Amino acid sequence: MQLIGHGGKPLVERVITDKAEAKKKIAGLKKVPASRQMATEAIGIAYGFFSPIEGFMKKADVEATCKKMELADGTIWSIPIVYDISDKEIADYGIKQGESVLLTFDGNPLAIFDIEEIYTYSKDEIAEKVYGTKEEKHPGVARTYAYKDKFLGGKITLVNEPKVREPFGPYFLTPRQHRAKFQEKKWQRIVAHQTRNVPHSGHEWLMKHAYIAAHGDMPVEQMEAPGGATSGILVNCIVGEKRAGDYIDEAIVLTQDELRKSGYFREDIHMVTMTFWDMRYAGPREAVHHSIIRTNLGLTHHMFGRDHAGVGTYYHSYQAHHLLMSIPKEKLNITPIYVLEWAYCPHCGEVTCIGLCGHTKELQKFSGTKIRSIIMDEVKPTRMIFRPEVFDVVMDSAKKFGFGSPFVTKEYLAKAAPAFRVDPL
Amino acid sequence: MAETFPINIWINEERFKALNDAGLAGLLKEELAGMKVLIVPCTAEQRDKVLTLFPMAKYDAATTKSIELLPKQVKDKIYELAVRRKTLNVMDEFIKEVEKG
Repeated sequence: MQLIGHGGKPLVERVITDKAEAKKKIAGLKKVPASRQMATEAIGIAYGFFSPIEGFMKKADVEATCKKMELADGTIWSIPIVYDISDKEIADYGIKQGESVLLTFDGNPLAIFDIEEIYTYSKDEIAEKVYGTKEEKHPGVARTYAYKDKFLGGKITLVNEPKVREPFGPYFLTPRQHRAKFQEKKWQRIVAHQTRNVPHSGHEWLMKHAYIAAHGDMPVEQMEAPGGATSGILVNCIVGEKRAGDYIDEAIVLTQDELRKSGYFREDIHMVTMTFWDMRYAGPREAVHHSIIRTNLGLTHHMFGRDHAGVGTYYHSYQAHHLLMSIPKEKLNITPIYVLEWAYCPHCGEVTCIGLCGHTKELQKFSGTKIRSIIMDEVKPTRMIFRPEVFDVVMDSAKKFGFGSPFVTKEYLAKAAPAFRVDPL
Repeated sequence: MAETFPINIWINEERFKALNDAGLAGLLKEELAGMKVLIVPCTAEQRDKVLTLFPMAKYDAATTKSIELLPKQVKDKIYELAVRRKTLNVMDEFIKEVEKG
């Protein structure tokens, strides 16, 4: 069955699942080893997470993305998905425009890459247009300036599906599998909560707000009976490159799931999955990119809080909201749900929305940084701000996966196994 | 008053009892629904020295405006010094101790 993705176009699915066919197609192709990031994005392209793009972008699409925030054909697109390569690698691997190569990962076949174009593009322009800055301390800009000499553009066909390791296995679903799950659950409206965090109760209330907002004008009695929900929250965890001090991905995924397992969200209204993506911290443009990914997963709504996908002070708090609001509805077929922060009010004695509570001088704002600090000091937070079951999973994840810490350390970066592997064909 | 840049040392039940028993509970502030915290102030110069001595730490200029990601063992030493001296103004002494090795 043909599925429709972003831009109203058929969902891209460029995957050869038959091993015999895959072996035939790759026979004789030059092998080019892909970095973790390129392998991750090739997988994402092939499964349709970045639909309608069918491969790594060619120059016209990169130019249109940078200058007009759209692909060359006018489809909204905000972040270039590019394959960078050095002149030396082009020479060493004998890469030629018009030929196909076999991308490998860890020495095993991954995907056929039809090299339609070899080109250069101004890194200054990418930095300026996508990130709004050329400062190299912006991580997305640093990534841009680290690109090698040239880019390769062309279609990708996955020939060897990745094996996702534990504990991530059950949480990795392709766009097609997401849609099948939503159908099974009979969800008509699904709101994305995008996260790279362990949840505190401020996050929990954001999700609850977004769920009710997304359910909107549908009959409220649909929410009443357990098992009868027609709306859902999809917590879609971004799993990708980590920096020291981030939560480990294992803790993020397992703690988000624990909220439902421990009953803070009813079983039939909440689900956790993950998407492989290296955060660019592009703020507003990344909010658009996340909207595109979640459209492709089959969601109807996407929650956006303060400073979505931002870093430091590069973007003002609601800049992402303003950019999303400026896009005509027919060009982005997912409805944004804009949410304000929730904070603890000692006067109200509860967690409340900053837009509702009148005790403005007393509000104690949630801070991911502060909660991280509390956990690093090995102090159990109060249950008003952090569910005890979630804290227990954080500590357990630290022991099982984090070499003693729930945060990314040098040891984790050096020793943690990649989230997926590719086996010999 | 000059701007200060805090190091937040979060206090568990055991430490709270010890501070209370020693008559030092007054040094603590309460944040985030009853969490107890020792807020140790740094001047800009002290902040910069701490960030140099402990390169894994960061100054969060965007949200909390505090020094973050200091290892627990480092914060434990600052906590012990504050309790010993019965004051929060311990960063000069702490930095000197670290620089001495």
